[in-house]
Amino acid sequence: MIGETVISVLIVSSIGAALAAVLVVSEHFIANYGECKISINEERDLTVTGGGNLLSLLTTEKIFIPSACGGRGTCGLCKLKVLDGAGTILPTEEPYLSKEERAANVRLSCQIKVKNDLRIQIPKELLSIREYVTRCTKIEDLTHDIKLFRLQLVEPATMDYIPGQYVQLLTPAYDKSPLEVYRAYSIASDPADKGIIDLIIRLVPNGICTTYCFNYLKEGDEVKINGPYGEFRLSTTDAPVVFIAGGSGMAPIKCILHDMKNTGNRREGVYFFGANVVQEMFHLDLMRQFEAELPSFRFVPVVAKPAEGETWDGQTGLVTQAVQRGVKNGALCEAYLCGSPGMIDASIKVLQDLGVTNDRIFYDKFA
Amino acid sequence: MKQGPEVQQLDVSLRASTLVAGGFMGDDPRSVTEVIDTDAGELSRLGVTDKQLAARMKEITQKAAGAQGTWIEIGPDCEAQVDETRGATPCPWRHRGRYFKRVTTVRRKDSGRTVRWSDLNTHMIDAHGFFEGKGSMFRIEPAELVKMLL
Repeated sequence: MIGETVISVLIVSSIGAALAAVLVVSEHFIANYGECKISINEERDLTVTGGGNLLSLLTTEKIFIPSACGGRGTCGLCKLKVLDGAGTILPTEEPYLSKEERAANVRLSCQIKVKNDLRIQIPKELLSIREYVTRCTKIEDLTHDIKLFRLQLVEPATMDYIPGQYVQLLTPAYDKSPLEVYRAYSIASDPADKGIIDLIIRLVPNGICTTYCFNYLKEGDEVKINGPYGEFRLSTTDAPVVFIAGGSGMAPIKCILHDMKNTGNRREGVYFFGANVVQEMFHLDLMRQFEAELPSFRFVPVVAKPAEGETWDGQTGLVTQAVQRGVKNGALCEAYLCGSPGMIDASIKVLQDLGVTNDRIFYDKFA
Repeated sequence: MKQGPEVQQLDVSLRASTLVAGGFMGDDPRSVTEVIDTDAGELSRLGVTDKQLAARMKEITQKAAGAQGTWIEIGPDCEAQVDETRGATPCPWRHRGRYFKRVTTVRRKDSGRTVRWSDLNTHMIDAHGFFEGKGSMFRIEPAELVKMLL
């Protein structure tokens, strides 16, 4: 009886092992897609080894498509048109594609496995995006959970960007994350110095990239970034400007203010900067300097509720309440917002009530 | 207890740092099934279900989310704050949906004790009965949560 059982177990195990071997061998041959051609905008052909996802193969070829999730199919940013060769839309793509996008053959490049030749379209501006090797030359505490990271460009040595745009920072594999990931951060530096990229980064609890930047990255380390990306920028009109941004959302606004100063921009402007407590305020001196140097600029820092023992003689309450009190000519204004979805949504409502039309409200939402 | 291959794979994925730095299991040596079963037992002892807890967590997050990051009262003894950061995380159970990196903190006014959770925590408690492994950054002790919220 025992002998029969042992023999049965051995037979079943052998069959299982044989099937596993067949699977491994089949995988080797069947999943070998060989060389595939990716035709880009009918202008350029890439020859790649099939089997990888489109986003990572393009990245390997130094074509950078924005992606905030490192190709996990969770950010929905890496969209591009695939005219031929991608097959049907995957369930993982569905939540991120509108009806119009599906009709236009828009796909998430991270979800497309390259198994054959593809014909794709990439917006021209993305083709000019480059990878930059930089060196971190300064890490400065701005608040308990926000730091400024200064990156000196090494190769190439300068970057042309429009104030308001962002870059993607490559987080290398480290002991809290086995994979390289990219995360997007707005450029905060003075665009007059094209060799410096300042980033203002807030620590995200458990965040792969911010944990790396806060706990592992040291001054002197090499950092890779790519960019610039994004449509957030100051218009060329003369309309009065309302900036609203809190925390690390200050980054693109700061860059725009530097540029306004550099270019002698005389537009009327007001910047509402909100924080919970006084300790969360930063760059106050710099903002006061902008007030002195820009002819028609006001800085309005707002603290929700100063903590016990804190001294504060500025405005208190929600930043949106300060906007309600402070903007008298809404119908004439353009508004530029950067921050959390909650703050942006609340600000949009207030701005609409003040007469700012939707086509004059521009925002960079943290989502 | 023996684990099926799917559960083993889930266990590996929860310990890996592919979705969040440090993973979801902390330094807990137990399997994910043991963690879930033990916490379910604790909730049962307390006479509360994970759905009830998750519903209360969602309610508090929703109420506090309108306060733009400031503290608001959610009861006579408690206040709450919602903090939003950039991005979203998928569930490690690998189904559709992603959860914004939004952290709700509840603080008792008398003792100053706090408990916090992310939107993903709420979802994982609601849908999977998972409070994370001990030692993970967002591990929530069921008894502590019940004491604070209900």
